[in-house]
Amino acid sequence: MQAAKPTVRKSARSHTLRYTAAAILKYASLTIGALAALIPIVVVLFASLKTGGEYSSTGPLTPPGNWLNFDNYTKAFVNGKMLVGFMNTMIILIVSIIGATLTGSMIAYILSRFQFRGKKLLLGAFLLATLIPSVTTQVATFQIINDLNLFNTRLAPIVLYLGTDIIAVYIFLQFLDTIAVSLDESAMLDGASYFKIYFRIILPLLLPAVVTVVIIKGVSIYNDFYTPFLYMPKTSLQVISTALFKFKGPYGSQWEVICAAIIITIIPTLIAFLSLQKYIYNGFAQGSEKG
Amino acid sequence: MKTSKSILGLVALTLTASLFAGCSSKESDAPAAPGAADSTPKGEITVITQRTDIVDTVFQDYAKKFNEKYPDIQVNFEALANYEDQIKIRMNTNDYGDVLLLPTSIPLADTPTFFEPLGSMEEMSKQYDGLEEREVDGKAYGLPITINYSGVIYNKSVFEKAGYSEPPKTIEEFMQVLQAIKDKTDAVPLYTNYAAGWPLTQWEAVLTTVAGDKEYVNVKQPNTDDNFVPGAPHYELYKVMYDAAKNGLIEEDPTTTDWESSKADLANGKIGTMVLGSWAIGQIKGIAPNPDDIGFMPFPTNAKERIVPLADDYTLGINVNSENKEAARAWVNWFINESGYPTTEGGGISPVKGAELPEILKQFEGTDIKFETQTPAEEKQKGLVDKIDKDAEIGLWQPDFKKTIIEAGIGNRPESYDDIMKGLNDAWVKSRAKVGAAE
Amino acid sequence: MSYRNQRILIILSFTIIPIALLFVFAYLPVVNMFRYSFTDWNGYSKTFEYVGFENYKSIFTDPKYFSVFKVSLYYFFATFAQMGLALYFATILSFKVKGKNFFKGILFFPYLLNGVAIGFIFLFFFKPDGTFDTVLQALGLDFLIQKWLLNPHIINVSLAGASVWRYMGFNFIVFLGAISSISKDIYEASDIDGANRWHQFRHIILPSIKRIVQLNIILSISGAISAFDIPYIMTGGSNGSNTFVIQTVDVAFKYGKVGLASAMAVVLLFIVVTVTLIQQFFVKEDK
Repeated sequence: MQAAKPTVRKSARSHTLRYTAAAILKYASLTIGALAALIPIVVVLFASLKTGGEYSSTGPLTPPGNWLNFDNYTKAFVNGKMLVGFMNTMIILIVSIIGATLTGSMIAYILSRFQFRGKKLLLGAFLLATLIPSVTTQVATFQIINDLNLFNTRLAPIVLYLGTDIIAVYIFLQFLDTIAVSLDESAMLDGASYFKIYFRIILPLLLPAVVTVVIIKGVSIYNDFYTPFLYMPKTSLQVISTALFKFKGPYGSQWEVICAAIIITIIPTLIAFLSLQKYIYNGFAQGSEKG
Repeated sequence: MKTSKSILGLVALTLTASLFAGCSSKESDAPAAPGAADSTPKGEITVITQRTDIVDTVFQDYAKKFNEKYPDIQVNFEALANYEDQIKIRMNTNDYGDVLLLPTSIPLADTPTFFEPLGSMEEMSKQYDGLEEREVDGKAYGLPITINYSGVIYNKSVFEKAGYSEPPKTIEEFMQVLQAIKDKTDAVPLYTNYAAGWPLTQWEAVLTTVAGDKEYVNVKQPNTDDNFVPGAPHYELYKVMYDAAKNGLIEEDPTTTDWESSKADLANGKIGTMVLGSWAIGQIKGIAPNPDDIGFMPFPTNAKERIVPLADDYTLGINVNSENKEAARAWVNWFINESGYPTTEGGGISPVKGAELPEILKQFEGTDIKFETQTPAEEKQKGLVDKIDKDAEIGLWQPDFKKTIIEAGIGNRPESYDDIMKGLNDAWVKSRAKVGAAE
Repeated sequence: MSYRNQRILIILSFTIIPIALLFVFAYLPVVNMFRYSFTDWNGYSKTFEYVGFENYKSIFTDPKYFSVFKVSLYYFFATFAQMGLALYFATILSFKVKGKNFFKGILFFPYLLNGVAIGFIFLFFFKPDGTFDTVLQALGLDFLIQKWLLNPHIINVSLAGASVWRYMGFNFIVFLGAISSISKDIYEASDIDGANRWHQFRHIILPSIKRIVQLNIILSISGAISAFDIPYIMTGGSNGSNTFVIQTVDVAFKYGKVGLASAMAVVLLFIVVTVTLIQQFFVKEDK
């Protein structure tokens, strides 16, 4: 870690030097991190713009001959029926995210503001559930979904995603810690019910945490292909991630088309992330303490 | 293509005979299936397929054509990517479509609990080949979607550059050709597709060729304790894989290979040979600059007879819980007889008796190569090989031990080939005794 | 309504749905799995038999089932690299940096990709003359070039590296979110006291987000023990990269032994829970 020496030097000059060295180190590490994150993906972008022949004859880091060759994109979008996929994904995503955010923040609110018997047990139960490797329980889970008559409906993935995961609860707890209890108390003096406090005061203040949860949960739902594949194989119910698989398999995997499909699937996530990201970083919570 | 087993043989699919008979190309209208009602079937059916690649294209065309004949049946498709695993999970319920492929790993004895009988063997076998794989108590439960033959797909121009105009016959000759390809050309002599994994299981399909005995797989194998000892067919077969890996005759870095590129490379002469089923020939020819360069040869063998085994691909059947069995039956008949799938997309031979043979096989007319079905197991021993295999976790039709062999061949593992074979044989002997005792 | 009654009402109404979901979709399958672990069920037949502890006996007597746990060690160590990197980037990007949002977006980016894409990307990354080798060459580091997935001593490092690449962004964004909940006033106060960034990290940031960091470590370590997706997508567990979960899935589906696989899953769950408890115990001791 940079500037690791804990001793604070008095000399202004050495301070500046140290400061500059630290800054160089900081930007160097950020640049390396950014490159490491980007380079593997650039390969996908390049490949998605190449023709089939070009793809098999050129190296992965060779830029495409024609930067405007969008044939693979058209192919992926049309043959992959990605529009249907986007529709289904959106429905599932919206319902599950709203549900998961509500349940997660509710549990966190209860855990943070109330003392009751079994509180630790409850938190432990959520933690333990996260530790269960889900691939190993899929046969049993499938039977349950089927017994509930949810197989081949959009509700199947929704209920599975709705299950509150521990990371969301912890993120909410972290934020609730910074929301002063005095806020709740003053509302109670005004005669507000707990429900009102939760919906009118807590939930709005949790917004930055909600955004973090939405992004994390959203990305994992968006990219999950196993659940939709297993629980709703009906063609009309395909989601965006299952559309990707259409191009892969022993009968033919056209990597350049898959690459285009990958880029297509990334675009909405990227847009969502970029437009939401400012919320994550602003500490909303602190302002309210004063107000 | 089926990456799993096709052990149970077909009865006397007399290919050679039909070759000379100048087979009467079958007209589309198949005789009404036994048991099917005369009235036109109605209803909505769900057809489950493993072909994720063409479910939205070719299968939609099939549905249109099917509806010209059966306007009152609505066909829906579902394609499963990892067919074998996913369908088994679904078979815990009653909802696994109306028409589906019978998962190969479902034991024969369990078939009637899941599937509707298609008719008596006596009647049906007059019309179709390959029903034995799913025969229980004299009834047929599945019709093969195509019949595959397996061997080596090779690039003729690579062979010529290496100095061979004729494909090799014995294992020794084959190894010489591979060595010559390495020495004289830039091509990879034998491409294993280790990374994709499933292509390695295609080797097991040529066991009959190495044994030179159509009885080996189903009749003799379950009764031997020497399945992997030196001299046994398995030992000889995978020795080819091991030696090729050891002598640097396979791809440079097997862990990062890619199935799609391998097809293109074989088509373009960057690869000499691949061990595959007939279903792949069409795909490779399709992308070859010169399709005539792509040839098929039997796997090399030291046996007296050169036998290319014919084996079922997946078989098509009807869910016993289906509410529209007649409509489902109409689809099964139409798909096998009229869609053209067995020979086009399926890439093999049609199971319909007397159907026309693929062009590529006509070159073998008059040669000593026999295309034959494997003799089915004796009644009592049906499914026995599979049971022993699973209990022992050997995985005859899984990539696992083939990968181990390649890893040992290139020196990534300390074991010798004989060590690996001994381990497999020990497991085989132990489970054979256990499963045999339980029977 | 009195706050006392309200209290009961809100606790019940806010927890009932999550608890119901948790029970039905997380614990009920585990209960069934536990039951199957005493059977010889193949996963689809209508009938099966109870075989007592036979499955557990197989697991504990055959060394092949446990030997794969050493692969988990690679993912275990990778976890710490992942946490360290995530904390480091989250911390420096919480302070004033040029192009802050740009870097944040890019570092999080890999997490946006789905599994198919990852498998593909790293196939090309690690193959001979692939992305990685090309980059090393450009940097004049040719001597480092390896067969990244072929060399049995390197393969797990490569795969664990891919795993870090994929999941670092997740930890990063969680830490970033948590750090943002810390009041700015505290930094300002410490700035006046002349604390440097390391001090601020050590004495302000780390204690404030301790809970989230601990949780991430717990999840990552249990994730390391049950490592699955990266090696499954990339190599299917071959060439010495097999993990316990891959093995479980293979036993269930390749060999039709759902009974045995369930027993393996039970053993795995037991190990994960034990490790988690030990970890929590040490964390508490630490206080």
